[in-house]
Amino acid sequence: MDRAFLSELRRIVGDTGVLEDALDLLTYECDALPHLRETPAAVALPSSAAEVQAVVRLCARAGMPFVARGHGTGLSGGALPVAGGLVIALARLNRVLDVDIPNQRMTVEPGVTNLEITRQVAPFGYYYAPDPSSQQVCSIGGNVAENSGGAHCLKYGFTVHHVLGVEAILPNGDLVHLGGSLVDTPGPDLLGLLVGSEGTLAVVTSVTVRILRRPETVQTLLAAFDTIDAGGGVVSDIIGAGIIPAAVEMMDSLAIRAAEAAVHPHFPDADTVLIVELDGPVAEVTALFDIVVDMCRRRGATTIDVAQTDEQRARIWRGRKAAFAAMGRVSPNYYVQDGVVPRTKLPEVLTRIRQLETRSGLRIGNVFHAGDGNLHPLICYDERIPGQSEAAVDVAAEILSYCIDAGGSLTGEHGIGADKSQYMPTMFSPDDLALMQRVRAVFDPHGVCNPGKVFPTPRLCGEVPGPYRRHPVEAAGLGDRF
Amino acid sequence: MQTTPDPLWIHPETADEVAAALRRASEARQSIVIRGAGTKCDWGRPAARIDVVLDMRRMNRLLAHEHGDMTATIEAGATLREVNQALAVHGQTLPLDPPFADRATIGGLLATNDSGPLRHRYGTPRDLVIGIRLATTDGVLSKAGGRVVKNVAGYDLSKLVTGSFGSLAAIVSATFKLAPLPAASKTMQVIARDVGALADIIRTVMASQLEPVAFEVMTGTQRPQNPQSHDLLTRSAGTAEVAQAFRPAILLRFASLQAVVDAQIAQAIAGLNACATSIEVLDGDAERARWHEHATQLWGEPGAIVRASWLPANLAAGLGELDLINAGLKACATGVGGIELVGRAAVGAGLVRIDGDTDAQASAIERLRASRVFGNVVIVRGSPDLKARVDVWGSHGDRQPLFDELKRAFDPNGVLNAGRGPL
Repeated sequence: MDRAFLSELRRIVGDTGVLEDALDLLTYECDALPHLRETPAAVALPSSAAEVQAVVRLCARAGMPFVARGHGTGLSGGALPVAGGLVIALARLNRVLDVDIPNQRMTVEPGVTNLEITRQVAPFGYYYAPDPSSQQVCSIGGNVAENSGGAHCLKYGFTVHHVLGVEAILPNGDLVHLGGSLVDTPGPDLLGLLVGSEGTLAVVTSVTVRILRRPETVQTLLAAFDTIDAGGGVVSDIIGAGIIPAAVEMMDSLAIRAAEAAVHPHFPDADTVLIVELDGPVAEVTALFDIVVDMCRRRGATTIDVAQTDEQRARIWRGRKAAFAAMGRVSPNYYVQDGVVPRTKLPEVLTRIRQLETRSGLRIGNVFHAGDGNLHPLICYDERIPGQSEAAVDVAAEILSYCIDAGGSLTGEHGIGADKSQYMPTMFSPDDLALMQRVRAVFDPHGVCNPGKVFPTPRLCGEVPGPYRRHPVEAAGLGDRF
Repeated sequence: MQTTPDPLWIHPETADEVAAALRRASEARQSIVIRGAGTKCDWGRPAARIDVVLDMRRMNRLLAHEHGDMTATIEAGATLREVNQALAVHGQTLPLDPPFADRATIGGLLATNDSGPLRHRYGTPRDLVIGIRLATTDGVLSKAGGRVVKNVAGYDLSKLVTGSFGSLAAIVSATFKLAPLPAASKTMQVIARDVGALADIIRTVMASQLEPVAFEVMTGTQRPQNPQSHDLLTRSAGTAEVAQAFRPAILLRFASLQAVVDAQIAQAIAGLNACATSIEVLDGDAERARWHEHATQLWGEPGAIVRASWLPANLAAGLGELDLINAGLKACATGVGGIELVGRAAVGAGLVRIDGDTDAQASAIERLRASRVFGNVVIVRGSPDLKARVDVWGSHGDRQPLFDELKRAFDPNGVLNAGRGPL
């Protein structure tokens, strides 16, 4: 990175807004997918939308690739830096700009955390619906980039259903307003396109979200089963009866044990647990909850625990939401994927995953959003054992191929990022990808905005297909991956 | 639809035929418009020359109904009515109730992102679409999204064509998430004493934990033949008396299990008694008839119709503005006009019908666009004269450069949609 660029960067964000020491850069080498790492040339920490715009303009003029970053909780390497490029960290854009309770809207800067939005409006009886497991720390800007979901998106939808508007800086430095406080901006839904584009189309500088009135009541149960099929049968019964729960989650025995070891949610020691949460008007929840309890009984639930207090409900969710991190208690390393299958194909795909577990010798914990078929296989490995890291990546790839075979998707909520871009051709044809790239080129004709994500990159000669492994040319500093 | 003397009509039966027709038109620089049932083909700007009409009505198959997954994949030319008849076999529905719901096609609904009262609960087509297949002007078929309800792989190009009015690509088919058909339904009609009471009703329902599937507001319109009607919107005095002039109404619909519907209705009545002049509960045929009337009434009356949005808590101020605009209409119009709003009370979006001659309509639309309450004002139904006077779409603001570039990228020869769309 040349000195002129850096001094201009300092002029924009101040000396304390630029990091370039190796030690400082370490924090920004990866997001929550730690096996992909890259060192940026520098990190910019703008404090305002105007500074973000000036930084992006500078990058556009200099042809400098940049990666916008929220709080780095992404699981697909979406915030993986470009070697020699700039990271634009948005943590200092963390102000709440407007809380409008009567109109059920709120406008915040991208560095505000998901949970902070709910905290701001909770005293008035409102909340922000999308609730990714990382909601205590993840940023709303990152949620917009990834179209984050969470456990409750079966009923309430994803980030794209709750964001009314954004202010964003295009890769050429122009400011645009997509959507806004008022609905129905005329023309193509560019806001809907931007949400979930993984930081490849623009850098968001403010976000207006819809907040929801707390439902009148919430009821949660935890049922244990001897087989995954029995638990899956309940899910089919629920959907077949026309009931849309707020959440339907399943965990298998390995995930249960891990969660128990980590946060002690008092889960039963079972093959499978099913969590069902219903919310809404008291009359509705009361009537439907009895039906669901009965369905669990008829499918042979060994125990059915109904949360009687908010504390008990919170404990169930603590066990569920801690499942990823808890894997650290039962395995030195783990790798998580989030492929999706049509819900009705869950039993078939889970059977294949269990066969793969036996064949590969790697333990696989399963935590999944059963209502919408979103799998979270947690593949356990030990990087100190030669070959296991590679084996874990191969197992993950095979599971994703099961999802595609079943008519599903590579990712339900974590994003493609750098992690899965090489698998995109298994889900999309060259024509599909070419049309997406055509859209990308409209926003970012020079390919400076989070390059190398989402789309498979043309490979350097001699590179093996598969997950990222540092190419010798790159390792020698002779070539970059764009 | 204005056309050249004799446009060529094409009736494709396969996706390949759609793509080929677009490619041929693009190569020959022939203007081509995509048409479903034609319920909205007069929306948008007046058409420039039309050489080819791509009539999608033979692409009308329900390709898949995965009822266990609550998804359906549907060709663009299928009508919403036919689709919902088929989905009802398994107790499911594509929960949209736009204008012209008996004839409108899936492709047309997506292209215009049109919806109706059920938007309150289920959103618009953009909120329900999970996958799309498109034909572009280079003759290529592409897809985006998928067949699963949860999926963030790749760009969601279904969003790019919702609201595009056929200006970027042809929608060949789309996959939607579905909803279960409710077991029972009831509707409350609440007459508000005045605008202040209306604002109270909207605020009360929004702040409550009631979960209606539809929540409509309508101002009613001037009806010279029935001057005693409760829903008069006819006055021209100062805003201080606006509150006395309006007798607006609310429709609130609950759909769930019978006992749940009854409990919600009872709760709503208890909450709204204080601010309502009258409350009437409808079910069965009476309820169906009321919603049919609601869907067709606005369109059955003369005048221009515009889409408009507002912040829901600001509606009372908005009605004050509408009243002043209405007074202006009467002052300048030869044929005495009137103005009427029908919309989603808590979403803050709906339709405004503006009666009167072209001068009056044009001035009313300009005043709506200048309003501090209303925004995103787009003319849907209007005479060619009106559309020549006032731009249908209004300003796209800082989005215009992106719209221009998208149009160039998708339709480099500028053959699609005869200049009617937003880009």
